[in-house]
Amino acid sequence: MKFGRSWLAAHVLAWLYAALLVAPLYYLLVSAFKTNDQIFGSPFSLPTSFSLHNFGEAFSSADLGPAIVNSVIVTVLALALTLGLAIPAAFAIARTEGRLGAFVERVFSLGFLVPTFAALFPTFLLAAATGLFHTRTFMVLFLPATAMPLSVVILVQFMRTIPHEMEEAARLDGASTFAVLRHIYTPMCMPGIATILLLNFLTFWNEYLYSLVIIGPDPDQRTVQVALPTLKSLTGTDYGILTAGTVLTLVPVWVVYTVLQKRMQQALVNGAVKM
Amino acid sequence: MTLLSSAPGGASVRRPAPPSPPPAPPRRKQGGVILAVPALVWYLVFMVGPLVAIFVIAVLHWPGMLQPVSFAGLGNVRTVFDDPVFWDSVGNTATQLVIALPVMIVCAYMLGYYVAQKPPGHRVLRYLLFIPGLISTPAKAMVFYAVLSPDGLLNGGLDKVGLGSLTDAWLASPSTALYCLIALDVWGGIGFTAVLFAARLDSVPDEISEAAQLDGAGHWRAMWRIHFPVIRDFVGVVTMLQFLWTLFGSAQNVLLLTQGGPGSSSTTLSFLVYQKAFIAADLGYSQTVGVVLFLVGLAGLLTIRRVFRQNY
Repeated sequence: MKFGRSWLAAHVLAWLYAALLVAPLYYLLVSAFKTNDQIFGSPFSLPTSFSLHNFGEAFSSADLGPAIVNSVIVTVLALALTLGLAIPAAFAIARTEGRLGAFVERVFSLGFLVPTFAALFPTFLLAAATGLFHTRTFMVLFLPATAMPLSVVILVQFMRTIPHEMEEAARLDGASTFAVLRHIYTPMCMPGIATILLLNFLTFWNEYLYSLVIIGPDPDQRTVQVALPTLKSLTGTDYGILTAGTVLTLVPVWVVYTVLQKRMQQALVNGAVKM
Repeated sequence: MTLLSSAPGGASVRRPAPPSPPPAPPRRKQGGVILAVPALVWYLVFMVGPLVAIFVIAVLHWPGMLQPVSFAGLGNVRTVFDDPVFWDSVGNTATQLVIALPVMIVCAYMLGYYVAQKPPGHRVLRYLLFIPGLISTPAKAMVFYAVLSPDGLLNGGLDKVGLGSLTDAWLASPSTALYCLIALDVWGGIGFTAVLFAARLDSVPDEISEAAQLDGAGHWRAMWRIHFPVIRDFVGVVTMLQFLWTLFGSAQNVLLLTQGGPGSSSTTLSFLVYQKAFIAADLGYSQTVGVVLFLVGLAGLLTIRRVFRQNY
């Protein structure tokens, strides 16, 4: 038997840690259906009723409704823009042999060394200078830039595997460069596109500090990650409402994760390997 | 999975073939580079531009957004290096990295190895371990806030089991605030990193572990002496990532949970950049710390790369 006695400690430790991960989430989930008194009195018991009162409160007191819409808008548009920029760029780099292509690829991959965090204030200045300060528009334009290095590098890897003969055949039929991109390269590197969509979906949806500083507190513009922490102070910390709000922001990510678990883990490994 | 079947047909039959000589050398190697220009411009404007600006602002005396700006040269460097708060935050960041990084990487590697051996229930375990990777920083911070606040889960639990004397205002006490932040990093970091390691270990050829078993190597030996060297460079890359996330990302947790306090007991370097820019409005100071942060990040990356360089 492969997992004999000596593995007992490993089993126990691994599951203990898993419990440590799940316990706060369980607490989060059940607290979302409780009042403060119930949360403190019996933190781990199942809720007595599954009323959606806390969710409603969270929605109205932190304006979570518009915030979710804003998050969806920012995430979807930024993802579209990322693809619009990265696919042609990767296509160009993958087809250009010699120094130039390699140089451009190098420029992009050096982006991994740019610590976006220290650049928060200059980015803020840039937002102010372009007149897009306190708008989600700026985030839609900005987020794809942060995603460029990873997205381009991953897509180039995929596109390099496409045989040149495919393109030559299409060329003989008179296909333009754009048609080659559209009808050959894009369909053939769908797995790569899926990978960068998933990776960037996680980053964009969860982005916090830049959104906080640049979009600011306006409920019509702010994203859900910025709206959520306001529940802490606004409600004199009603933990039921706070946890209900947190659960709401987790739902989209959780759904995507559960459906695409395998692919998503593979995507993250790809992302790390290509660094 | 690929939409390969739909690819070749689509581009055909656009117009009749031009009457040019048939074996015309394809011009596909040229003309395409221009397609990289939009992405490049985007990247230069939003990523490289701000990075360069950090270095420019660092030599300016700029006491607030609407105040007059003057050239300060190395004056900011002197101010920063004379400031005890800066040295506090250097110490805090060092503590954070020295504790969090080794604990995270070592535990995650062992856990990842365990999962990759496919013990009973490994699928469930994999699913659970990845959860912290999905949760946004504010949501994680809110969970920890609920657990660690004076009337939160941890104190309640301690009271229940009769250890009421150990209860503390965890996030508001100078001796524990920083360690709470480190615990938050480690808590989520181990699981997420373990999944990465497990996925990478999955692709290590089976022959390697079979050979190890034939040699009578115990699991401890197989884990560190046989598998570790194989994925050494991957461990290096993941360590780099975690190093950067911890170094730069700590600002968010600090902001959400302790605001750097009490005093400066939980102020990290990256939070200092934020605080000086957006709360204290001392922009030259802030960006000087930003330069320090950038250099620390660069030096750390190069060091980690050297340590984990493949050496067989």
